[in-house]
Amino acid sequence: MNADLEKLQETNKTELERRGSIFNIGAPATEAVTTRDQIAVGFGDGTVRFFQSGSDPKTVKAHKGVVLSMTNYEDHVLTGGDDGRFLKISSDGNIEEIFNFGSKWVDCVASHKDTKVCSSGKTVYIWTKNKDKPQTLEHQSTVAGLAFDNKGKRLAVSRYGGVTVWKLNNNKWTASNYTWKGSHGTVTFSPDTKYIVTAMQENQIHGWRINDKADLAMRGYPSKIKSFTWVGDTPYLVTSGSSDAVCWPFDGKEGPMGRKPIVVANGGKELATFVKALNGEKAVFTGFTDGSVLLAEIDESKKPIMIRSSTGAEVSTIAISSDNSQILIGDMKGSILLSSLWADN
Amino acid sequence: MYEGGIYRTNYKEIDMENTSQVPVTVLTGFLGAGKTTLLNRILTEQHGRKYAVIVNEFGEQGIDNDLVVDADEEVFEMNNGCICCTVRGDLIRILSGLMKRADKLDAIIVETTGLADPAPVAQTFFVDQDVADRTKLDAIVTVADAVHLSSQLVDHHEAEEQIAFADVILLNKVELVEDNDIVKVNDRIRKINPFAKIIKTTRCDAPLDEIVGLNAFSLDRVLDIEPDFLESDHDHEHDDDVTSLSFVSDTPLDMDKFQDWFGNLLRTKGQDILRSKGILNFKGEEERYVFQGVHMLMDASPMGPWPKGKNRSSRVVFIGRDLDNMNLKEGFENCKSA
Repeated sequence: MNADLEKLQETNKTELERRGSIFNIGAPATEAVTTRDQIAVGFGDGTVRFFQSGSDPKTVKAHKGVVLSMTNYEDHVLTGGDDGRFLKISSDGNIEEIFNFGSKWVDCVASHKDTKVCSSGKTVYIWTKNKDKPQTLEHQSTVAGLAFDNKGKRLAVSRYGGVTVWKLNNNKWTASNYTWKGSHGTVTFSPDTKYIVTAMQENQIHGWRINDKADLAMRGYPSKIKSFTWVGDTPYLVTSGSSDAVCWPFDGKEGPMGRKPIVVANGGKELATFVKALNGEKAVFTGFTDGSVLLAEIDESKKPIMIRSSTGAEVSTIAISSDNSQILIGDMKGSILLSSLWADN
Repeated sequence: MYEGGIYRTNYKEIDMENTSQVPVTVLTGFLGAGKTTLLNRILTEQHGRKYAVIVNEFGEQGIDNDLVVDADEEVFEMNNGCICCTVRGDLIRILSGLMKRADKLDAIIVETTGLADPAPVAQTFFVDQDVADRTKLDAIVTVADAVHLSSQLVDHHEAEEQIAFADVILLNKVELVEDNDIVKVNDRIRKINPFAKIIKTTRCDAPLDEIVGLNAFSLDRVLDIEPDFLESDHDHEHDDDVTSLSFVSDTPLDMDKFQDWFGNLLRTKGQDILRSKGILNFKGEEERYVFQGVHMLMDASPMGPWPKGKNRSSRVVFIGRDLDNMNLKEGFENCKSA
């Protein structure tokens, strides 16, 4: 592997860059999600583009300004924009406006099966199947993150002062509050749904054990954490925000309590800005401020592989196709690399 | 609570390959003072420029711009043990969103509600790294109503704070006030804020290049301060009036002593010190040092050698409440090198 790495560095271009396609869109890539056979990317010019190996991306002019949030929904994607629109978009260019909030932004979106969710301001709107009117959930401050648990029974809503976890029982949502001083952004459930974790305005992440609300602070980062991903069976919560991918173990009864994280994929003077698990492997893709991307096993003794070389613009999104064959990397200048992960593809 | 092992890194400083920062002008002033008039002048008279305007939900209507964003003025306390360290959470979110746009903005204007405290807005640019990397606070511009300012200063802390924080004050509606009353209100403003530029206007008719694109928060601009040095008179009526004090020294200062005193001062009295600025001549240092602070937060750096033939004097200015009880003069004097 070492010899391979050296060879890659000599030629400047990585193996994946040589066999992949590069598209220069000219607007920052803001979000990427995987649908059944494509990867959809939202951009700062309001477009959503559907990428598929071997063909040019299909462009859908969706929002007037920035695609702020995106998630997959059946074969479609749901997007929220700074034009106040919450949209359902298909790759053939069909756009359905679910709701228009006017001058208020649609900051966050989420979905589970046939349930569509978005937030605008302090309110979360939930559309369930066969109902035209959304249910609304109110919060004390602007919603900064949304996440369903894997069964779609609980919805975590992050905000200033903590997280509200809404539980669905007999068609009614009831709230349970997880409190921690400060402003909470992106939120995630652990795969076993025992923990919720948020990225904070301060350079730290915060977690709660759901059943007893025990707090879990993960600190020491040099910058804000913009991205996290669950990796492997342990599982590890891998985060950006440092010069390495920082991997916190969430196994056992106590998770990362009193334990040190594993750090992999050192970016030297660059900071990690985006992390994405390689499905089914104990490995993570880490994108950095200079546009480079490393693939690393969660093992400090293993050397990472360079997947994408520096572009000069920070990596803002990474997505893997649903069949694990393709990777898409996007950056803040709108350069997209789409490449097959495996040499024999 | 239980806590994960604290993770430390050797990381020092990022070399931000600086994509140019978008300037942000903050517009404050009481309802009816003329903020919207000024805003519309900026938007309509500067042709060909692309602005984003962030307004509050209680704002006056009729803003003539493509890109108007509604904000909620959500003030968040930072969880960093600094009690007065508040930021505008909505501003962090909106500025981050605007920075993802494909088209480049020439400037961003943030309009605050009449009763807003400007500190959280200013502090947002000191505290949030993403905001600081991609945008820069250009200036705080306060529109004051020449007819009503005097009574507003008596009735509302916020009016004092808006004057205290300002880099530029438009004393508007002067056509409705007698000349000697203008002098009085001008003096009142000066007592609160000796370094803001005061422009007397009718319908906010000030030259726009004196309002936007000022770079007033740049440390370089600290060198421009020529505060009106006031006699330290004590005729203000209440102890919680906002006043200012400034000190000059031709004797070089001792760097260690100054850092001890000033650091401790901001830590313990930062809540009452609204703004501080200064140019410092340290013994044994060839370069000028400048600083600029908002409450407990401060930005400081060396700023090149002293100009030849110019007097190497240190100057500091404080604007705040209860300054008389901080032993500022004594503290500053004690920093003089032996």
